Amino acid sequence: MKPRDMSAPLMSRQEKIITGFWPWFLQRVSGFLLIFLVGVHIWMTHFSGLGDVVRGHQEELVLFEIVKQRLAQGLFIFIDFSLLALVLYHGLNGMRNILLEWGPAARHAAGMTAGLWLLGVGTFIYGAWALLAFIL
Amino acid sequence: MAFSLRALSLHAGNFQDRYSGTRSGWWAWFLQRLTGVALVGYLFLHIAVISTARAGADTFDTVLIILQKPFFVVLDLFLIAAVLYHALNGVRVLLFDAGIAIKQQALLFWVCMLLTAVITGVAGYFSLPLIFRE
Repeated sequence: MKPRDMSAPLMSRQEKIITGFWPWFLQRVSGFLLIFLVGVHIWMTHFSGLGDVVRGHQEELVLFEIVKQRLAQGLFIFIDFSLLALVLYHGLNGMRNILLEWGPAARHAAGMTAGLWLLGVGTFIYGAWALLAFIL
Repeated sequence: MAFSLRALSLHAGNFQDRYSGTRSGWWAWFLQRLTGVALVGYLFLHIAVISTARAGADTFDTVLIILQKPFFVVLDLFLIAAVLYHALNGVRVLLFDAGIAIKQQALLFWVCMLLTAVITGVAGYFSLPLIFRE
């Protein structure tokens, strides 16, 4: 079998096999949802309490008690856990897309994908454990 | 570095947009990847910082008070700029996926850059009291 020229772009059929429809589709769905979730997160952590800090009613924008009060509301528990899951999927799937342009990673696409899933699930569990400090 | 150089060579070599005659499409692609990788790095740091809450409220507050010093507020503005560009260019890519405005890709790239600069500027303006507080 003739070895593939690694300086040439991946052929469309090969590309279709190693990237796939679902990672492409879910990257776009997660990206679209993240626009709203990250927007709410940045607004809540960087700007919503700005007036109180400037007027001296509040020492800092983010402190343990402030996060605890926010996460006492079910909506923000849903937002923060959804954000954690979606941002990990979107970020690590994006890294996968970049790594697939690297010959050695593309040749071991299944193993690399499994490794990234392991990293993502492990980080989600760690992040959820961290968030639970404010909830329980 | 090998994979990065190969990826760059694939996309940069004589990659001029047929409609605009510029390389804005390559820059849009490159900046999307650059901001994406930077944001993934930040994500892991952010989760590590939040996990200090497991050591107790005092530990969390000590870390967060340091991270809200003026230097870090300025760094946050770079974070906001990276998030904005990545999100806006992401919408640009979604439009192309739907077959919309492909011929206007160069114009849309500059719209993304302009909106990123303007919104980051507004965020910077509102952050001034935090940057210059005693």
